[in-house]
Amino acid sequence: MKKIFLCCSAGMSTSMLVNKMKAAAAEQGIEADIIAVSLADFDDTIKEYDVCLLGPQVKFRHEGLSAQAAEYGKKVGVIDSMAYGMMKGDKVLEQALALLED
Amino acid sequence: MKLYDSLIQFVEQTLGPIAGKLGSQRHITALRDGFLVAMPFIIVGSFILIFANPPFAADTTNAFGRMWLDFVADHRATIVMPWTMSMGIMSLFITMGVAYSLARSYKMDPVGAAALSVMTFLLVAAPEKGWALPLNHFGGTGIFTALLAAYYSVELTRFLKERNITIRMPEQVPPAIAASFALLVPVLAIFLTAYPLSLWLQTSFGMQIPEAVMKLFAPLVSASNSLPAIIGALLLCQLLWFAGIHGANVVVGILSPIFLANIAANADAYAAGEALPNLFTQPFWDFYIFIGGAGATLALVILMAFSKATHLRSVGRMSALPGVFQINEPVMFGTPVVMNATLFVPFVLAPVVNAVIAYIAVNTGMVDKAIAVTPWTTPALIGAAWGAGWVLKASILTALLLVLDVLIYYPFFKVYEKQVLADEAAMESSNSESSATQQAVA
Repeated sequence: MKKIFLCCSAGMSTSMLVNKMKAAAAEQGIEADIIAVSLADFDDTIKEYDVCLLGPQVKFRHEGLSAQAAEYGKKVGVIDSMAYGMMKGDKVLEQALALLED
Repeated sequence: MKLYDSLIQFVEQTLGPIAGKLGSQRHITALRDGFLVAMPFIIVGSFILIFANPPFAADTTNAFGRMWLDFVADHRATIVMPWTMSMGIMSLFITMGVAYSLARSYKMDPVGAAALSVMTFLLVAAPEKGWALPLNHFGGTGIFTALLAAYYSVELTRFLKERNITIRMPEQVPPAIAASFALLVPVLAIFLTAYPLSLWLQTSFGMQIPEAVMKLFAPLVSASNSLPAIIGALLLCQLLWFAGIHGANVVVGILSPIFLANIAANADAYAAGEALPNLFTQPFWDFYIFIGGAGATLALVILMAFSKATHLRSVGRMSALPGVFQINEPVMFGTPVVMNATLFVPFVLAPVVNAVIAYIAVNTGMVDKAIAVTPWTTPALIGAAWGAGWVLKASILTALLLVLDVLIYYPFFKVYEKQVLADEAAMESSNSESSATQQAVA
């Protein structure tokens, strides 16, 4: 089970992407738990989940949050802005899985 | 074009990093997250206030209005009570929320910090009389004090902890019990610092701390109602968004105490039947200036939904529903609007025009000032009316601004559409060429 979470200012726009990613995961037969949270909930969520992807509009938090995630040996990525805008669930899923692989 | 380039360079290299720093600065993050704690109480509470003040003239002949007015006249105190205990004491929720978030960011005990900040706030803002707490400063006039109480109590606790000024327990005492003594010194330290300050202000100037703090912030609050300040704030938001940075996250985060202080003063005046003092409020910002999100992008989404270009049409249709609910990341990044030189002018111009027209309309009294806080995700046409106390004129203003935004975006959209169509045509012809070669090979 891959546990992925997306994070943006209020967790609103990323939540739209979550459903598309779930669909992509189901299609590829990947078992994944995917959620979207607000920046305020990052601290609590990073403990429970394997990897975090940030909405491109909050990439300015990337450095700080990466350092926080590193404490748990986890990684934070920034969603490719075009894939984000087009709500391409498969692309973003791929990105998350790649980040888990490294 | 030169001006555009240097502006973008400025946003990317100077403004963006500053916003990034501010946006991740712990006191500002705590401010934003702490206010979110208070939001549900304020939103529902302000809704009650409208119910307690029916939007009908006192001598109305409308049967429904008459019934409503009479009902309220008989039960006013009962109806207003939930408002008093939610929006009316919002500063209490704010001080708790901010202290909790700030303490959490320092990895300190957040609940203890929230409790300590409540004590600090009450100590300076609610001098009890006859075993009752006066609520005058629990609402809008206490917001800045609530904020300062949260910052001060958490920072003082941290300072004492870092200097190891604490009650030491013998080593045999279990850590959990020792931790329960952690707040004793901070509580005492608040008594010894904040309380004397409060007493001194009262005896020397006959002023409570919240009154003094409001005096200090008064210029900021009154400046917030001026057109240049509104345009300045929105331009900052726009430039950041254009660079792909969540501008509202930073700008609204800092503006939120002002928004709340302004709307609370309006709500108080409304409840008292007086003229409303403040123009610049959250509904003004969300539902007049930023219809459909930053950049007033709902207009662009409408244009795109009917575009001849496949890419624009699909992004436009996908962005329509989120756009109605004031969420515009899909259109911002999908079109993209971010860093799109062709769309820069309308992206900045549309909200400015909205602000100027709405400012005139509200300032001249054509449209009512806002009295209620609404969720920012409320569709603009509804949110405008809701904020103003269910006044239809507010929705009409939003509708007119939306039409105007469509006209502002239209010529620039057409230019961009032409570019996209050319790209799509080029892609198609190269695709069919390559399939032609494949066939030839086969």
